[in-house]
Amino acid sequence: MLFLFKYRFLQTIREFSIMFWALAFPIILGTLFYFSFGTNIDATGETQWDEIKTAVVIEDFANENSKAFETFLENMEGELLDITRVSSEDEALRLLDEDKVTGIYYVKETPSLTVGKNGLNESILTSALDSFNQNSAMIQDILSEHPDKLPSALASIDGYRQTVHEETLGGKTLNPNVQYFFALIAYACLSGVFLGVRASFDTQADLTDLGARRSITPTHRLKLVIIDMLVLVTIHFVNILILNLYVTQILNISLGDDIPSLLLVDFMGSIIGVCMGLAFGSISKMDLGMKMGFSVMLTLFPGFLSGLMFGNMKNIIELHCPIINRINPAAVLSDAFYCLGIYNDMERFTRCILILAVMSILLLFSAFLGVRRDSYDSI
Amino acid sequence: MIHIDNLVKRYGTLVALDHLSLDIKEGEIFGLLGPNGSGKTTAINCLLSLLKYDKGTITIFGKEMHPDSYDIKQNIGVVMQNVAVFEQMSVWENIDYFCGLYIKDKEKRRELVEEAIRFTGLQDFKKMRPKKLSGGLLRRLNIACGIVHKPKLIIMDEPTVAVDPQSRNRILEGILELNRQGSTIIYTSHYMEEVEQICSRIAIIDHGQVLSIGTTEELKSMIKTGETITIEAVALSEDKLAQIRRLPHVFDISYEEQILKIRLSSAKHNLVRILNYMQEHDIAFGRVFSELPTLNDVFLEITGKELRD
Repeated sequence: MLFLFKYRFLQTIREFSIMFWALAFPIILGTLFYFSFGTNIDATGETQWDEIKTAVVIEDFANENSKAFETFLENMEGELLDITRVSSEDEALRLLDEDKVTGIYYVKETPSLTVGKNGLNESILTSALDSFNQNSAMIQDILSEHPDKLPSALASIDGYRQTVHEETLGGKTLNPNVQYFFALIAYACLSGVFLGVRASFDTQADLTDLGARRSITPTHRLKLVIIDMLVLVTIHFVNILILNLYVTQILNISLGDDIPSLLLVDFMGSIIGVCMGLAFGSISKMDLGMKMGFSVMLTLFPGFLSGLMFGNMKNIIELHCPIINRINPAAVLSDAFYCLGIYNDMERFTRCILILAVMSILLLFSAFLGVRRDSYDSI
Repeated sequence: MIHIDNLVKRYGTLVALDHLSLDIKEGEIFGLLGPNGSGKTTAINCLLSLLKYDKGTITIFGKEMHPDSYDIKQNIGVVMQNVAVFEQMSVWENIDYFCGLYIKDKEKRRELVEEAIRFTGLQDFKKMRPKKLSGGLLRRLNIACGIVHKPKLIIMDEPTVAVDPQSRNRILEGILELNRQGSTIIYTSHYMEEVEQICSRIAIIDHGQVLSIGTTEELKSMIKTGETITIEAVALSEDKLAQIRRLPHVFDISYEEQILKIRLSSAKHNLVRILNYMQEHDIAFGRVFSELPTLNDVFLEITGKELRD
């Protein structure tokens, strides 16, 4: 048994084209995601925001409040704001029209703000101004009585920060970009389809001569099928672990701290991917190239529905047809990763695990039914 | 050793095997000869229980063959028509893997693999992957994988297709050696020369039926043709052709593109008689060939068509 396992293992991992889809492609995709999101996701999934380009027009610098606001802006410069000081409002408006700045602060007795659009950065600028206005009386007092304490007082006004600091039940920052990586790992689990489809060709006498040769040996067919499944699930589980390590250790994206639960999801995802491939590989007499083409669809389409290409897809489906999210293995896997990495919601996680377990059993059974045939109507 | 009785296999309305019956004895090299699509491979696949069949029984080593007849399969080796090996594994690994499907003992397996490699002359290619091997070497690897466990019965389905003459001779010598070592061999081919060269008994198959069965000599003696004489002759008139047709033992002639082909029944001095006639009638002629009947003649007479490569 170990001997057969060893050779099947060697044969599978040496098949570059299959291992590319099952291992290298998800890693490449993850790297592309990482760089396209501006590498702004830290270890906890918290976003490190780019500075917001802002124009500042000084209209009145004579009164105390104007000076306080100017000091306030200086305090934020380099940390939150990238300030361009302009001499006239016209020039500032031109920069705004050309999208070179997000907003214009007017330094005057009652500071004001002009923004061109609605959006997160615009909200941050508004929130910063609100924070200043709410505390302006206190700032003016400090400025007149203890001007040396002004910087530390301004630093304590951090209301604008809270605007963008959304904490989840799990205590992790909810970064919309992290969900792409959950969808990516879910997709990678499904890419076990490629391993399964390829292996099904070596198992069935009606598909290949190799299948025929293996079918006429005295080794029990059930034994060969079980060894194939064990080898493929082992290889794919290792593939997923490598991807997990790459995402967590190289890309620094947290998948949660519950390692046993993470391994459980990875393992079930591996079974589902491989068994989908074995079942699909054994249902028709299409050639390998054709089946590989369909396998790309079979992995990418559920991946798309789980938010691999468009992050909000899963939420849209949840809103309009939630059943798809329950039966789409990529969505369930992605949800399980979400529960571990973000929500820390064990009830929802358990539900995901149960769904995955049922799917695994059904797919194992259908894959076995597909490849167990001993003799055929035609070859 | 093998008894096939009234085997019928249909693909929809097409009858691939039509009440095919065969008896193959221990120690034979039994040839299944027939054109492409005659039912040879279908018969082999039914014999191995890879294909379901509609009617008939197959008995091997005295037991009825079923898909789960693992005890029978233990003693069968198969060399498939197409090369069936793992591209990702070396020559040694492939032979070892297929041996391992029959033999559990590691030491015994190692010995058998070495022996199969020596037998097929693959010693210098042990570590090479199949894609780096030539067509002839690949065929040899295919054979090594099929015979490595030293089976009592070896089924070879057209093992020399697309093989260079040198490799083909080596393969045929190997088959004779396997037979000398005690294996019974079923050999399918549409190359009549090969079958004639190595098989002790031959069944001629067409349209899924056994048309004739026997040794080469028995098959040849079943037909009317005893000799075929071919002569390059210029401008033969219809009168002359009619006279030739009336010569003793001549039963068929054809004349196309200045080539005269005369079929005669078996008799002494056929060639002398024909050449005397040509000289007496001042018929100019060039090269002359005389051939004893081949299996192609047998096939031609039985079916009315040539057994083409």
